[in-house]
Amino acid sequence: MTRKQAVLRALRYLFIGVLVCIAGFPIYWMATTALSSNAEIFGAGQVPYPQMQHLPALAEELAKVPIALWLFNSTVIAGGTTLLSLLMGSLLGYALSRFRFHGHGFVGFLLFMTQVLPEALILVPLYAMFISLGLLNSLTGLILANVGFSLPVAAFILKNAMDGIPHEIEESAQIDGCPRIAILTMILLPLIAPSAAAAAVICFFAGWNEFLFAMTFISDRSLWPASVGLASFIGQYETPMSAVMGAALVFSVPAIVFFLLVQRKIVAGLTHGAVKG
Amino acid sequence: MASSASRSGPGLAAVLAPYGFVLLPVGYLAIFMFGPLVRQLWMSLTNAKLINPGQGDFVGLANYQRLFADPQFYNSLSVTLVYTLLSVVLGVSMGVVSALAIDRPFRFRPVARAILLFGWAVPNVAATLIWLWMFNDRSGVFNTITQNLGLGRFAWLSNMDLALWSVLAVTVWQVAPFVMLVVLAALQSVPEEVREAAKVDGADGLNIFRIVTFPHIRPAVQLVTLLVAVWSIRRFEVIYLLTGGGPLNSTTTLVIRLRRVAFENYDLGMAGAYGAVGLTLALLVAAIHFFIEQRRNKGMSR
Repeated sequence: MTRKQAVLRALRYLFIGVLVCIAGFPIYWMATTALSSNAEIFGAGQVPYPQMQHLPALAEELAKVPIALWLFNSTVIAGGTTLLSLLMGSLLGYALSRFRFHGHGFVGFLLFMTQVLPEALILVPLYAMFISLGLLNSLTGLILANVGFSLPVAAFILKNAMDGIPHEIEESAQIDGCPRIAILTMILLPLIAPSAAAAAVICFFAGWNEFLFAMTFISDRSLWPASVGLASFIGQYETPMSAVMGAALVFSVPAIVFFLLVQRKIVAGLTHGAVKG
Repeated sequence: MASSASRSGPGLAAVLAPYGFVLLPVGYLAIFMFGPLVRQLWMSLTNAKLINPGQGDFVGLANYQRLFADPQFYNSLSVTLVYTLLSVVLGVSMGVVSALAIDRPFRFRPVARAILLFGWAVPNVAATLIWLWMFNDRSGVFNTITQNLGLGRFAWLSNMDLALWSVLAVTVWQVAPFVMLVVLAALQSVPEEVREAAKVDGADGLNIFRIVTFPHIRPAVQLVTLLVAVWSIRRFEVIYLLTGGGPLNSTTTLVIRLRRVAFENYDLGMAGAYGAVGLTLALLVAAIHFFIEQRRNKGMSR
């Protein structure tokens, strides 16, 4: 290796190091703040690394906020959103992948539109509709609103995955008189399980993270999901910063873990065609 | 066509089969997505108020006349355009640079890759909380750092000249990892031999990127550019929670304004008009993308 190469290599590592520090710092600081004391934060100055001896105090403070209830509500919303999105998304994905029919292009266009549409745009009409249906202040209403945005993503990912499965596999089953719905559920879906898992992760955390609808539709505090609960910490000084950051961390860790697990499948599913991974 | 099972050509059942699958999901979207969208656009032609959203009278284009006479509208439109443009330029370039940096294998690559993806994986509200804390005037870590460097303290989120840049910093932190992920996948299609050959021929790094690498990742870069642009037009909670649109509306985008007009002024007609503009903007971006895509495809087949 020449000197020039060695220098370039060192520079590259340095650059990567800087990028990693910038990208990772906010999460590091979240953990650091969660594991520090109020006195340090607002008085003596924050200690720049997490201190495990503050863990019991953190647990005690976290017990004072209804974080478990919020996370439970978030799980219900996210689970319901995932279930409905995958159910209808696999029907739609199957139709788009296996049939040529009148309106095929139009349905594709509708799916695309949902991704361009700002949520704020349908907020008011949904609000009005939920008033008359009695779905305001209910987790069911929230799920129904979320599915509109995550169902198209699920359909798109599942369609792309099904496109990669040769038709011959189903054809023999079809000749044997197997109904299409059984072909979809018994043959196709198991074959594309990894992509279905990626779609499930996207839908689940779309519901988990959703804030605008939840903030607008849910006024009953006992029904708040964690996104709204956490946001309620902003501008209030009752809860110590360590507990706020601890709660944010608890809320984030599942999302980080699952997104990292299925990252490659997500990219493959969303960018099909434009990117050959 | 998968309807080969029936002997007498596609029967009625085979023709109807796809609609059986489409009915439920498309019906769902019609009720919970496109119905509300149409209703929102219709509201922009009425004087509906939030107290009884269904009771508005038809007022023609009066809301649009008010909209185009309102300086707040032009402010929110220009904030949206500036914010979208800057998040595309900064987010996409940071993402591409990160992808190029970690494309080749090195010792801690999996760890580096995972950490670089944090901003993408963390939920919006949690991301906002930690950045709000880091931006904190009194005890935030950024002010601790700038003060120790002798630069003094900054009002990151309440200074008119700084607030949009602070929001952009959070945006780039969230968006660049996704760009990186997509570009990394695209980089796998760049043949190593071609890169090596160019190197042997004496091309320097920048030229290799321009001539060999970029054409391969171009479709991916274009796709993420579209996505980042559309997301920026849509983005609500990060801006709402970081600045609430302030200071002095310097971070009030169209969607922030829309919600305020609807839920603070109760003016659904005007909110509908804002929505129509936001939708037009998003569709415009998408149309540009499809136009470029089509021209490129034509150019290739020639």
